[in-house]
Amino acid sequence: MRRLLHAILLGLLGAGIVHIVVLLLVPEFTERDAWSRLATASDLYKMTRLDAEAGGAPVVKSVDPLFYAAACRFDLAEGIVRIKAPGSVPFWSVSVYDRNGHNFYSFNDHTATDSKLDTVVLTPAQMIDVRRELPEDLQGAIFVEAPIEEGIFVIRAFVPDDSWKPVVSQFLEQSSCELQDY
Amino acid sequence: MLKTAFFTLLSLAIAIGGGGGSVWYALQAQSGVGAISIGQWTAFPEIGTQDADPYSKARVAREGVLALGKAEGLSFIAERDAAGDELQRQCDYRIEGSFPTARFWTLYAADQSLSVVDTGKPRLAALQSYQVLRQPDNSVIIAVGNRPAPGNWLLTEGFGRMYFVLTFYDTPIASSTGLSDVTLPRIVKAGCNA
Repeated sequence: MRRLLHAILLGLLGAGIVHIVVLLLVPEFTERDAWSRLATASDLYKMTRLDAEAGGAPVVKSVDPLFYAAACRFDLAEGIVRIKAPGSVPFWSVSVYDRNGHNFYSFNDHTATDSKLDTVVLTPAQMIDVRRELPEDLQGAIFVEAPIEEGIFVIRAFVPDDSWKPVVSQFLEQSSCELQDY
Repeated sequence: MLKTAFFTLLSLAIAIGGGGGSVWYALQAQSGVGAISIGQWTAFPEIGTQDADPYSKARVAREGVLALGKAEGLSFIAERDAAGDELQRQCDYRIEGSFPTARFWTLYAADQSLSVVDTGKPRLAALQSYQVLRQPDNSVIIAVGNRPAPGNWLLTEGFGRMYFVLTFYDTPIASSTGLSDVTLPRIVKAGCNA
């Protein structure tokens, strides 16, 4: 009887340890996180629509029904990445996420000059290089310093009513996400 | 000998089964650590950031969520009305009161997976602040139900549990200091078609 009690207590102690270990390992090993879902949908540096409007099930969960969204994955080890979107919409906001889907930088159209979306994501080391001689066409861009390599860039745009749908769709379709020479 | 093996196996079974099961259970639950409740509304300002607790991090990873950033907005979710009953899709509700400062807000009725309720009609189960009619004191009254209502009407349809998701965009309340003196609208049940 004492041995049974001993075994159960030991088991409960082990359960506690397993609970903590599993909890901390879930983000490392999951294949259902935003990065993996986007990876099955499209390649690096390719803007992908997240809302269901583009056809098929939404790639990433919980997008506001009055919003359209697009995302691209990037890898800063290959160089700096520039995201641009032409045209103007009632409201847009962007977020930069790391590989695990943690948001570490966000801003909206009030931050940008003329509400134009033109931004560059780069590591602190690349920032030093770029600063040394800032290319002419990067002067108006918003620089996002990110201490990461792989990451996700998301653009969200507000669709106040049906009449805005084509405009907002076009805004996202024409957005680009590409490696930039510097 | 056989007894020792049995007890070892028992310990291992409890450890692995109990440990794994409890993580699964904790990640299913809607409420959790790091939640801020105002009236019937709950928000997770820390979710999806580096500062989030391990449970939020695991949930973000498992469900593929890309949470709104602080400069984007903040979402509140309601699962109960003012009387404490669970929200039902077959019931009519009234959402009334004033809304905190933001450039605009959106409100939608959601199902269990927090995606918008399928109304089966061109009209979405969603409203936004530019299209609502306001009272003289700037507060808003919204009728929720599957029959058209005068004023502001949020269409819902079907049966089962329902959630309201209220998101404020470009708002000062997204910074945690702004959350202390915020009041959010009340959700009052108006009746049910049982």
